Amino acid sequence: MNAITIALPSKGRIKEETAAVFERAGLSISAVGNDRSYRGRIAGIEGVEIAYLSASEIARELAAGAVDFGVTGEDLVREGMPGVDAKVEFCARLGFGHADVVVAVPEIWLDVETMADLGDVAADFRARHGRRLQIATKYWRLTQQFFSAKHGIQLYRIVESLGATEGAPAAGQADIIVDITSTGSTLRANHLKVLSDGVILKSEACLVRARKPGHDEDGRISQIIEAVRASL
Amino acid sequence: MPMIDMPEFAGDLLAEFAERDAERVNTPVIQPAEPFLDMAGEDLRRRIFLTESETGESLCLRPEFTIPVCLRHIASATGTPRRYAYLGEVFRQRRDGSNEFYQAGIEDLGDKATAAADARAIGDALGILKRVLPKVDLRLTLGDQAVFEAVVKALGLPHGWQRRLIHAFGDMAHLEALLERLARPQPVAGLDPDISAMMAAGDEAGLVERLDRTMQETGYSTNASRSPAEIAKRLKEKLELSQTRLDGTALLLLREFLTLQLPLSDAPAALAGFADAAGLKLGDAVSLFSARLQSLADAGADISAMTYRAAFGRPLDYYTGLVFEVTAAGSTAVLAGGGRFDRLMTLLGAREHIPAVGFSLWIDRIEAARARQ
Repeated sequence: MNAITIALPSKGRIKEETAAVFERAGLSISAVGNDRSYRGRIAGIEGVEIAYLSASEIARELAAGAVDFGVTGEDLVREGMPGVDAKVEFCARLGFGHADVVVAVPEIWLDVETMADLGDVAADFRARHGRRLQIATKYWRLTQQFFSAKHGIQLYRIVESLGATEGAPAAGQADIIVDITSTGSTLRANHLKVLSDGVILKSEACLVRARKPGHDEDGRISQIIEAVRASL
Repeated sequence: MPMIDMPEFAGDLLAEFAERDAERVNTPVIQPAEPFLDMAGEDLRRRIFLTESETGESLCLRPEFTIPVCLRHIASATGTPRRYAYLGEVFRQRRDGSNEFYQAGIEDLGDKATAAADARAIGDALGILKRVLPKVDLRLTLGDQAVFEAVVKALGLPHGWQRRLIHAFGDMAHLEALLERLARPQPVAGLDPDISAMMAAGDEAGLVERLDRTMQETGYSTNASRSPAEIAKRLKEKLELSQTRLDGTALLLLREFLTLQLPLSDAPAALAGFADAAGLKLGDAVSLFSARLQSLADAGADISAMTYRAAFGRPLDYYTGLVFEVTAAGSTAVLAGGGRFDRLMTLLGAREHIPAVGFSLWIDRIEAARARQ
C-alpha cells in the first residue's frame, strides 16, 4: 500500500486552524518524534503521513504531484500551475484564510470604476505616456487570465512585485496593482480602490487533492475527504 | 551556409527570396524580451522562453522574426523601401507541436504604394507556398481593419466609442460585449455626489484643482502617471459615452457587416451594396480595398477562389489594414499568415512613419502538409 502524504501549513494561524479542522474531522495528528518535527502521522489510518511545509511550497508540491493532499490558499494553487482544474481537485473550502485577489487602482482615478474603464485607459496609455500601463503583482498568471481572457485587455505590462505591492503606485513603480486583500484596510491606507468588477478570486484555505492515478481505488482518499467535509 | 537541420526545401525558400528581391537577414536567437511583451502584450509571457542576463535584463529566445527584423532595420539606419527575408528557428511554448520550429517570411518596409505592396505580399506568400506544396489546394482568407474602421466612423458614433470598437476588432467576444453595452447603456455608477455635481455644472477646472489637491495630500503627485487633467478629461468623456445609445438599425448594420463572408471577387460589390443600403459613405477604405484587389487580379491571382471575412482582424494595436491567412483546403492549420502593420515601426522607435506589410510561413506545418500531399 502506497503511503499518502498530506502537506499542511507549517506555521502561523493557518497551521492552527488546519489542525483544528483535522481534529474536528477525527483525523488526529501526532507528531513524529518531538513537537517541533516537520513530519506527522494520522492516528487510525495506516500509511498516512503529514508533511509540514510553507503555504507556497504546498502549492508547488501539489502542482508537481509530489504530495497527495495539501491545505493551502486557493490563490496560490491557481497561480502556481496552468490548467489547474485538470491537475488538482478542490475537495473542501475550509472557512478560514479568506483573501480576495483584486484589481486596485489609485482612488484618485475617478474615471475608473470598472474593468471596461481600465480597458479604455490601457488602450490609450502608450499614446499618452510613451509606455504601457504597468501592473505590480506577484499573481502574473491570474492577472493575465483575468485581463486577457475575461476582459479582452492585452496591452499592459506586469511588474513583478514580491512584497509591499500596495505601495508600488505611489512609489511610481507601477500604475495599478493586483494583490490579495482581506479587509481592504491596507489598500485604503495606500489610497487605492478595488474596481467594482475587479475581484479576480475569492480565495480561502482549501483541502486540495492532486489528481493521481490510484486515488480512485484507494479507500483512504475518500475517507479523508469525507471526514474533512463532514467536519465543516 | 550549412543546410544541416534545415527543412529539406530550404533551398527552394532561399531561391524564392532571391527571385522576389528580398534580402535575407539573420537576427540573434537571444533577444531582449521587452519589445515582444510591449508589442504583443503579457499574454505572450507564458508562450515564450524567458531568461535573465547576469545584470537582470529580461531576455527571451526569439519567438518570431518580425520584431527583430524591424529593430535591426531601425538600428542599421538604412533608408526605405527595403525588402527583408528570413529563415530560421523560433521558440515558443506550444501545447501541440514542437517548442522549436522554423519560420520563414518577408517583411516589406517603406513601400508607400500600399495597395500594390499588399497585393505583392499575398502573391509572395501564395507563390512560395505553391512551389513547396505543388499538389495542395490552398485557401486564402482576407480581412481589412480599415474597412471596419470606415464602417464604425460612418455610423457617426462618438470618437471614444469608435476607439473602443476598433481596438476590439478581431476579438469577437470583446466586440460583442461592447455592442451589448451600446444597445443597453448603463448609467455611470459609484461617482461621489460632489463630483457628479461638478461635472453636471461643467466645472472641469474645479475638478482638476480638486484632484490636484488630493494628489498633493496623498503624496501621489510626484509619481503619478495620469495627471488630474487627464483624469478629468476622461471622466467627462466617460459620462458622455455612457449616454450613447446605438439605435436598433445601426446595431443591426454593424452586426450584419461583421457576418459578411464571401468570395473576394464579390466583396467590392457587396461592400458598396452594404454602404448604399445603409446610407453610409465608406470612402477611401473601400477604394483602397478595391485597388488592392485590382493589383491582385493584375498579378494573375484568382480572387474568386479567395475569401473575404469582414470580422477577420488581429486585436493588436499595430495592425492597421490588410490581414490574411493561408490554409490547405479542409484544414485549419495556418500555413502562412500576414498583414499590414503600419504602426509597428514607430512603436519600436523609428523616427519617421514607415508603412510595412509582411507574412510568415509556418515551416513545420508546411512539412506536415508536404508529407500528406
